[in-house]
Amino acid sequence: MTVSRPLVGWLYISPLMLVLIPFFVLPILVVLVASVFETDGFGGLIPTFTLANYRNVLTSALTFNLYYETVKFTVLTWFFTLILGFFIAYFLVFHVRNPLLAIGLFLICTVPFWTSNIIRMISWIPLLGKEGLINSALLRIGLIHEPLTFLLYSSFAVVVAYVHQLTIFMIVPIFNSMARIDKRVVEAAVDAGASRFDIMRLIVVPLSKSGIALGSIFVASIVMGDFFVTKVMSGGSSASVVGAFYEDISVLQYPSAAASAVVLTVILLAMVSLILRTVDIRKEITQ
Amino acid sequence: MSAAQQAAALAPARAKQRAISPSRGGRPWTFYLLATLFTFYVVALYGPMICIYILSFQDVRGGLVFPMKGLSLHWFVDLFTQVRTGDVKGAFDRSIKLAILVTIITVVVSFMAAMAFRRRFPGDNVVFSLMIGSLVAPGLVLGIGVGLLFNALGIDTSWYGSALGAQLSWTLPFGVLVMFAVMSRFNPAWEEAARDLGATPWQIIRLVIIPVLAPGLVAVALFGFTLSYDEFARTLQTAGPQNTLPLEIWSMTLNVTSPSLYALGTVTTIISFIIIGTALGAIVLMQKRRGARVGGH
Amino acid sequence: MAVSRGDIELAGLSKSYDGVHSVVHGINLKIPDGAYCCFLGPSGCGKTTILRMIAGHEDPTDGEIVIGGENVVGLAPVQRGTAMMFQSYALFPHLSVRDNIAFALRVRGLSKADRYRQTDAMIEKVRLTELADRLPAQLSGGQQQRVALARAAITEPRVLLLDEPLSALDEQLRVQMRLELQRMQRELGITFVHVTHSQLEAIALADMVVVMEAGQIKQAGPAREVYASPRDRYVAEFLGGQNVLSGKVETIEGGRLMFAQPDRKTLAAPLRGNARIGVGDRIDVAVRRDDIELLRPDAEISPQDRSALSSRVLAIEYQGSFVKVMLDAIADEEFVAYVPERVFFRDPLVIGDVVLATWAIDHARLLERT
Repeated sequence: MTVSRPLVGWLYISPLMLVLIPFFVLPILVVLVASVFETDGFGGLIPTFTLANYRNVLTSALTFNLYYETVKFTVLTWFFTLILGFFIAYFLVFHVRNPLLAIGLFLICTVPFWTSNIIRMISWIPLLGKEGLINSALLRIGLIHEPLTFLLYSSFAVVVAYVHQLTIFMIVPIFNSMARIDKRVVEAAVDAGASRFDIMRLIVVPLSKSGIALGSIFVASIVMGDFFVTKVMSGGSSASVVGAFYEDISVLQYPSAAASAVVLTVILLAMVSLILRTVDIRKEITQ
Repeated sequence: MSAAQQAAALAPARAKQRAISPSRGGRPWTFYLLATLFTFYVVALYGPMICIYILSFQDVRGGLVFPMKGLSLHWFVDLFTQVRTGDVKGAFDRSIKLAILVTIITVVVSFMAAMAFRRRFPGDNVVFSLMIGSLVAPGLVLGIGVGLLFNALGIDTSWYGSALGAQLSWTLPFGVLVMFAVMSRFNPAWEEAARDLGATPWQIIRLVIIPVLAPGLVAVALFGFTLSYDEFARTLQTAGPQNTLPLEIWSMTLNVTSPSLYALGTVTTIISFIIIGTALGAIVLMQKRRGARVGGH
Repeated sequence: MAVSRGDIELAGLSKSYDGVHSVVHGINLKIPDGAYCCFLGPSGCGKTTILRMIAGHEDPTDGEIVIGGENVVGLAPVQRGTAMMFQSYALFPHLSVRDNIAFALRVRGLSKADRYRQTDAMIEKVRLTELADRLPAQLSGGQQQRVALARAAITEPRVLLLDEPLSALDEQLRVQMRLELQRMQRELGITFVHVTHSQLEAIALADMVVVMEAGQIKQAGPAREVYASPRDRYVAEFLGGQNVLSGKVETIEGGRLMFAQPDRKTLAAPLRGNARIGVGDRIDVAVRRDDIELLRPDAEISPQDRSALSSRVLAIEYQGSFVKVMLDAIADEEFVAYVPERVFFRDPLVIGDVVLATWAIDHARLLERT
């Protein structure tokens, strides 16, 4: 029984590895290899070893600009989704007294997650556009005299679309860890004379750290790996790292695209492992 | 001291007492603040979507913004008949087939992986890291990698081959994480009791573990289905010559400027809701049959 | 003597999880067929590990487990003819009472009709007939316990292993369920091995009590023997009902020894078979709490027959049939007298009263020192 345990474990895990190796490990290796090859200019790759692609990526001002834009959107989205996610979860867990109602409201928050992201994104167009609902409403009540143009096809629209799509990734894990906080702990803190703010700072935030970490990983990795929202919602005025990668691919510049992808992936993985170092997510989920 | 002053002096103390105490007294001011925030969020969450559903029912004069022009199913017919909107019907068909494949594989493989992770085994941390890596890797990069790999191996990319694999590299880590949470509520003593009563390992899985975890498995299936049905970045470079639905929507957002785009949104949302409804219904039914908290005591 | 099917013998049984620290150290024990045996000890003493090794849910690092003359180490639980009742019962949440009880028959491949016929007889035996279609979540704690018992008993085991079977119940129900366990054991006529940390439960139920500490057996024997004649200080204190005095032997003569605690009065104790004790040895002496009589300080006693110590009342607890009086400055640990209720209220004491605690010298017992 004891001897065969690792074997049983490997047996159970082998189907997962049969997917992860050909569809995660090998593709990443392929990209890594492509990043040190040269292009023949027609979509073909010349097997050599060159770091020129990395040199180009890391020294160009364009790259700097791309990363600046991507990091800007990541940080803004992370900030707003965290604030919204935290307070919504806090409201549902600590302010809604009827547990059935809390679960119902929670489900209301999660339903759109199961519907198409692209559709949810374009659904902002009739609202934010020049002739959209918001502009026409503001014009009608006379608050403005000309349509606001920053609403759509702007950084503002990009952040709105991201926050709209991704807040759910904060709400769910934070709700989960908050729901596990023993209410008696909070009552004990009230007894000890803690203020609402003290309770939040000293009890709720530390005990929902794992949820915050998990949500941050989701939000940051999705925004950094995305190009679609930036492309559509900024109307082409903002670029993103992956967007540039996509442009490179469509003009068959595989090696330089691969180099920039490797740089992005390394940054992403470093960020995630940094977050994972602060909390043992595996333990948090499994316990 | 006047009554007003007294009341003012008492107020903070009383507020403090009420702070998030869930079952006593009036509601603290934070309740109203947060309830407003919550309402605002829900309106912002659903409002835009409801707008496009409404706008999809315009007649032939309809445009992309309000006000509503007429009322008809014109754009739905347009969606499925016009050449310029592409092969929407075929894309629907493929997306649903692909999502069903992904769902089945995700449920089975996530379940097995979660069984493995219940105990430590050599290399478990490596597998876990790979899984997280696969979850956070930029989808488009991974998709290109898969495309180049298939190219190098001389295999054609297709929605049922390379795209299926690329989607699994995203749905499986998700599924396993959900399974972790589901498994954490499984009492290992149930398994031991079954063994004590003479059940074989396969009987333990079939008669105890799967039935107990059934609602969780439905949740994993729901994840698998919708993540696949909506997957875009990983599929873009791996789907081969025939588009899936999100790819179809993506190309429409770039070149269709009529409410048929909204009609497509309405149709996919209806399908999503049918799937969610079925899954939630199944879970509720199972929980009800299990009859938690019926005989009061 | 012929070996019966429910005899259990543990020989040199050891368990270590990491190869360095062992949780069970070379246990030797014989449990006769049809006995009600209780393993008693604090949590972490290894009693549950022993139970799980007998059941086959854990393999011993060393030693043998012989059931009915057959070494069962390495056999699957079902091949051992044992059945286990788990702590908190581990009832399958998705199965009705009937299907929970029928589970063992189902995995043996019996047809539905066959297994329900057998199951219904068992359901009747544990008086759950009206609840047969309920799910575990719809049952009270006591009902769940009966289901667990029936589920284990349906396999017709030769040994039933019970892991803290009463710990999930409240006090009143626990007393009721103790009777139920006794009744079931008589009816089934098989060996019960029961693990508990409650001495009350152990001595109430068991023919044989096994007191454990840190992976070792401290004393094993009939309940009365273990309670009334504890072998050492640990057993005496764990079972309660005893006061333990310790001191240094000053003189030995005429079957008695005199011993003194530092700064306290010299006391006498009978020498019983412990020939190896010499002057200057440190010894422990136990005196039953209900053997102690409390007198007013001016009372007369005969120093030949009785020991007497002057003390002060620290606390008084009314227990119903007796009164628990805690005394000061007699022993290192607490020193308690159980005074019969009627006796106490003939001349009630109050906290702070000075009393003379006396007992018959022959009732004091010399303990082994380990």
